[in-house]
Amino acid sequence: MRDVYVAGIGITSFTRLEYPLSEIAAYPSMLAMRDAGLNEIDHLYLANMGSARVNHQTGLGSAVVDSLSLTPAGAAVVENGPASGASAIKAGFAAVASGMHNVVLVAGAERMREVDNLEATDFIATLTHPLVEYIYGVTLPAHAAMFTRLYMEKYGVTERHLAMVAVKNHANAMLNEYAHLHQPITIEGILDSPEAMTNNPYVAEPLRFFDVCPVSDGGAAIILVTEEVAKSLGQPLIKLAGIGQATDTHAVHEREEPTDLLAVRKAAAMSFEMAGLTPVDVNVAELHDAFTILEIVESEEVGFFPKGEGHLALEKGETEIAGRIPINPSGGLKGKGHPVGATGVGQAHEIVTQLRGVAGERQVEGARIGFTCNFGGFGNNVVCLTFVRED
Amino acid sequence: MAREIYAYECRNCGQAHYPFRMRCKNCGQNGFFEFDAVPLPRNGRLLTFTKVHNLAGDFDVATLTLGIVELENGLRCTGQLQMDQPHIGMSVVGSVEIVRRSTYDEFYGMVFRAA
Repeated sequence: MRDVYVAGIGITSFTRLEYPLSEIAAYPSMLAMRDAGLNEIDHLYLANMGSARVNHQTGLGSAVVDSLSLTPAGAAVVENGPASGASAIKAGFAAVASGMHNVVLVAGAERMREVDNLEATDFIATLTHPLVEYIYGVTLPAHAAMFTRLYMEKYGVTERHLAMVAVKNHANAMLNEYAHLHQPITIEGILDSPEAMTNNPYVAEPLRFFDVCPVSDGGAAIILVTEEVAKSLGQPLIKLAGIGQATDTHAVHEREEPTDLLAVRKAAAMSFEMAGLTPVDVNVAELHDAFTILEIVESEEVGFFPKGEGHLALEKGETEIAGRIPINPSGGLKGKGHPVGATGVGQAHEIVTQLRGVAGERQVEGARIGFTCNFGGFGNNVVCLTFVRED
Repeated sequence: MAREIYAYECRNCGQAHYPFRMRCKNCGQNGFFEFDAVPLPRNGRLLTFTKVHNLAGDFDVATLTLGIVELENGLRCTGQLQMDQPHIGMSVVGSVEIVRRSTYDEFYGMVFRAA
């Protein structure tokens, strides 16, 4: 297997975008090609979850490769729910590592705000089991809420801990020009004040408005190349050193231990093993905080903290940008936004930015090893990536 | 005839599944549809729950309480809850009722009440 490196990256703002989905994919792709100094690619993998359902467009990969005047390069869409982004990166990695291609463009794009919030929530709810979950009105926030209640009962996580994740990630997002939410929040404003229930009503109890990520449009792109191509380009040498992926039961109620996220645990372990590293080696991580509880639990399942102690590390500030293991310096899904198909590529964009040392005010000092966790469904399909700066 | 919701027991090893799956999760037997349909028990214990405030547009209620119940045979079932003060560990009993309506369809599922 050949080693695979990141040659270029690009991103749009994660926000409400008023241009077509194909352009939301093509714009960051052009930025990534410009960043890499490459004018040709062998193949495009395009991560997207909802084009057919939300935007009434199919065959998006073919549309984007043509819009970029890159024909006859190969093109394909990777749809893997909210884990589409990292899944497309995995496909791109395999294509380069196998020797099939030398230069692969991986783009992720989503345009969810073409529909209203209720329809967007229902679109995401189609991830749930159609016969034993969806029919009851189960949504992703409902899954996260039932999981949170169990976690509170078992490990002592409180609404205050959840709010602390939101406050941290909103503060980080203030330092990220591409983030969806540029809105600093305080514990007082969303939890303690008399107006808190108005500012921060329940969405699915015990989760409140500020425990849930926004519905975002956005795109991101990353170019994967061979070592030979990477060394010819002059960008810092950043290796995609580890990839892990694992699945879990579709119906959440079938999981033996309902407070475990086994797919996260397994995907992370696989990614670290492939890279020859351990969680202790990681300098910066982007974890899939579609709900605030997920940042806490994933920080445990990937191995940064013991099970049931993620909220204690949060209390001590260990996950802040200047902390021991900074989590979601970009603002995470909570602050940066969550254009579902693009999110995994967006996480990789942030990690490469951090490892290059060009993240500005949100830079994690001296970061050389970065990690992403892209979480699909309610944890039934998870992809973890480990990036290493080599030069 | 009373409506039932079914679990599926593997004819090879006896493992019960809910929902249906094509291949047994315990023994991996490859026979097609080699399962016996067995009605889910109605009694159980509430494992977790939530009150959902942002429902899909086809529900004509403002909120809905959902939960996961551990049934007396150990299988778990997601369902709607009809009770004022749910709490973890409480005994519940289920009945099969219409849980969702779309323009042309009615969907039956498990509705749990305090036992």
